Amino acid sequence: MKTIALYSIKGGVGKTAAAVNLSYLSSLLSPPTLICDLDPQGASSYYFRITASKKYNSDKFLKGNKKIYNNIKATDYENLDLLPSDFSYRNLDIELAEEKKPQKKLKKNLDELSGDYQFLFFDCPPNLTLLSESVFAASDVILVPMIPTTLSIRTYVQLKDFFDINKLDSSKIRPFFSMVEKQKKLHRDIIHEFHNTPGFLTQTIPYNSEVEKMGIYRAPLNAVLPNSPASKAYRNLWEEISTQLQGL
Amino acid sequence: MRATPKTVYFRLNHAASLDSLPVSTLPVGWSLKALSASTERRDFYDTFEWQAFRKGIVIVEKQEAIFLVALNTGQELSSLPHTRICSSFFSDQLPACKFKELLCSCSTIRAFTRLCSIDAFTRSYRILDNNEKTIATLTSESLYLANSESPEPLTHLITLSPLKGYEEEVAPIKTLLSSHTEISTVLDFKALFQLIIHAAGRKAEDYSSKIILTLHPDAPIHESARQLLQSTMYVMRKNEEGIKKNIDSEFLHDYRVAIRRSRSLLKQLKGIFDDRETTYFLNFFRDLGKKSNELRDRDVYLLRQTTYFHYLPPFLQPSLKPFFVNISSSRSGLHKRFCRYLSSSDYRSFLDELERFLNPLSIPNPENAPNASLSTKSVAMTSIKKAWKKVIRHGHQISRKTTDSELHALRIDCKKLRYLLEFFSSIFPAETIASVIRQLKELQENLGDFVDFSVQLCFLHEQFALVPADKLLSASMGGLMATLFQKQEEARLKFHKTFKLFDHEDTNQLFRDLLTDTCQ
Repeated sequence: MKTIALYSIKGGVGKTAAAVNLSYLSSLLSPPTLICDLDPQGASSYYFRITASKKYNSDKFLKGNKKIYNNIKATDYENLDLLPSDFSYRNLDIELAEEKKPQKKLKKNLDELSGDYQFLFFDCPPNLTLLSESVFAASDVILVPMIPTTLSIRTYVQLKDFFDINKLDSSKIRPFFSMVEKQKKLHRDIIHEFHNTPGFLTQTIPYNSEVEKMGIYRAPLNAVLPNSPASKAYRNLWEEISTQLQGL
Repeated sequence: MRATPKTVYFRLNHAASLDSLPVSTLPVGWSLKALSASTERRDFYDTFEWQAFRKGIVIVEKQEAIFLVALNTGQELSSLPHTRICSSFFSDQLPACKFKELLCSCSTIRAFTRLCSIDAFTRSYRILDNNEKTIATLTSESLYLANSESPEPLTHLITLSPLKGYEEEVAPIKTLLSSHTEISTVLDFKALFQLIIHAAGRKAEDYSSKIILTLHPDAPIHESARQLLQSTMYVMRKNEEGIKKNIDSEFLHDYRVAIRRSRSLLKQLKGIFDDRETTYFLNFFRDLGKKSNELRDRDVYLLRQTTYFHYLPPFLQPSLKPFFVNISSSRSGLHKRFCRYLSSSDYRSFLDELERFLNPLSIPNPENAPNASLSTKSVAMTSIKKAWKKVIRHGHQISRKTTDSELHALRIDCKKLRYLLEFFSSIFPAETIASVIRQLKELQENLGDFVDFSVQLCFLHEQFALVPADKLLSASMGGLMATLFQKQEEARLKFHKTFKLFDHEDTNQLFRDLLTDTCQ
C-alpha cells in the first residue's frame, strides 16, 4: 500500500480537490483506493456525499484497525472507499498528545488496511500539529499544493525547515503548483523560478471555475467533466506521481 | 479484512415491475435512479468432481472477464480480465496471478469444464439517500438457460446489494422486500447457484469416485456386494463420456479404479455369487483393464512431464521433448482405439449383462453361492482380517534384499486390503476405520513409489531401444533412467522401516479394535 498525503500548512490551496480527484483517478487504474478525510470540516466526505455514522468520532479513529474498518464507506465509484471525518476530529491533536508515540500512531492504526488497499490518500487539515507529524511518518509521499504566490512559498519553506529541524525525511515532500492563473505574471515567474527545483512536480493545476463547482456536483471533477482543463491536469499529475511511486 | 456486505436475491413469483414492489415506497427523500439495461451471457465452470464448489468457489465467466466468487458470500475473490476461454481449461495453463493460485488449490490435473450457461436480462438501479448518495444497487433480472428451447425463464430475481458502510440503512428495504407477496423466496448466492445448475439438469457434488454407500451390517452380503458393484458400475458409466471427449486424464483413472474395485470385490468375497458368472465377469474386467493399461501409462508420463524435465540438468531438458512428442502421439492412437471399444457392441452388451447380474431380483442359487446369505458384518470382518494377516505375513517374508517381485506382490496385497476397508467403511466406527486407512496409506505410498519408479524405468528402458540414435536424446533418457533408478532404490531402502511402522503394536491394536464386534 502506498500512502499519499495531501498536505499544506495553508488553507484554500486545493488540497481537497486534489485528494478527491487523484484518489478517483488512482481507483480507475490500480484499484482499490481509500481516501481518509482527516479534516474536521469534512470537505472530501462532503464531495462524496458521505457522512460519518453518528457513533463515529476521533476516539474511534485513534483506537484503530477494527473501529476504522467498521466506519469505512463505499463511494459511488467502484474501488474507491472513504473513511469520513467527524467534527470531533478538531480535538485529534489533544487526544493524540495523550497517546504513546503519537507520531507513529497513524501508521500503526492504518497498518491492517495495507492488505485491502493499494493506495491510501490523506486529506489533511491546514496546520502543522502533532497530527501532521503523524501523517508525515505514515506517508510515502507528501503532496503539497501551492498557489504560486509568495505566501505559499513561505509556508513551503517553513515546512522544509520543520522537516530539517526535526530530522524528518524531506525527500517525501512533493510540491506542485495549484490554482495557477497563467495570465498573472507573478504566477508565471514563480513557476519559472521553481521549474527545476528537485522534488517539485512539473505538472501544474490551472485555476478552473469547474473545480469550485465540485461543491455543487458533489463528485470528482474527473468523473463528471473528464475533459475539462483541470481534469486533464489532474490526470497528468497522477501519471507523474504514479511513475515516481513505482520507484519507491 | 472487512467483508463486503452480502447481496440478497429475492426470487419473484413472476416478472414483476419494480412499481409493484415496495421499493417504490422508499423513505422520504430517497429515490431510485435507473441505470442501464443489459443482456449478458454467464458461463459457469467446475471440474467433474466439483473441486471448486467443494472449496467454496464458484467460477463464472462474463463478457469482460472470468471471476472467482465465494460460494457462501457471493463476494468476488479474484478475476482474470479479457479472457475468453473454451469449453474447458486447466488451472496450470493460466497466467501467474492470484486467480491461478486459487484455481490451482482446487485442482491442477482436472479440467474445469463448462457446467451451464445462462442469459441474464438485467435492469439496474441505484438507491439514493437524501444526500443523493448511492447506498445500494438494485437489479431486476430474468435468467434464461442459454440454448434452451423453453421460452420460460428459469427465474426472475430482484438483487439487492448494499454498499460498504450502508448495511443498516438498507436493512428496512430488505425486510420490506422479504415480506412482499410478489417474492416467493429469499436466496443467498449459494442457493441461487444451486438453483441455476439444478435448472441445467445438474446437482452440485453429483459425482465422487469414492464409495459413498451406507451398508447395513446385518444385510446379506449378497445384497451389499451388489450395491457396491452397482456403485462401481455407476462410476464407470459416469466417466465414459469424459474419456471419449478426452477432457482430462482423471476420467480414465477413475474408470480404471472402478474396474479394479469391481474385480477385487468379486475375487475376494468368495461364494456370494454364482461361480461361473463370477469368473465370466472377472475375466471381462481383467481384459477391460488390460485394454486401457497402455493408455493410462501414457497419461502418467504426460502428467509427469514437468517433473521429468526437472530431473535433468537444464542443458539436457530440451532434448527430452521428442520423447514426449512420441508419447503424446502414441497416446492419441491408443485413445482412439479405446474409445472405439467403449462404443462397441461387445462392451455395451457386457454392461447390459452386468446390469442384469446386479439386478436385485436375481438372487443366486444357494448351492452355487453358499455364502450369499451371510451377514455383511461377518463377511467384512473375516475378509478384512484375512487380508490384513496376509499383508503382515507377506511383509515379514520379504527378504533383506527386498526384491522387485516381493514388493510388487505386497503392493497388491495392500491394495486388496485397502479396497475391503473402503467397501465396508460405513459399517465400522468412522474414527477407527479412518485411522486404520491412514496407517495403511503410508505403507501403500512407499510401495506405490517403488512400483511406479520401477514401471517407469522399465518403460524407458524399452523405449530406449526404439528411439532413433540421437546423442542428446540418449543422454537425457540415460539421465532420467539414472534418476528413476536412484528414486526406486530410495523407496526400496525405506521399505523395512515403513513396514515396521505398519506392523507396530499401535496399528495392530487399531485393527483388533476394528475387528472386534463394534460394528455400527
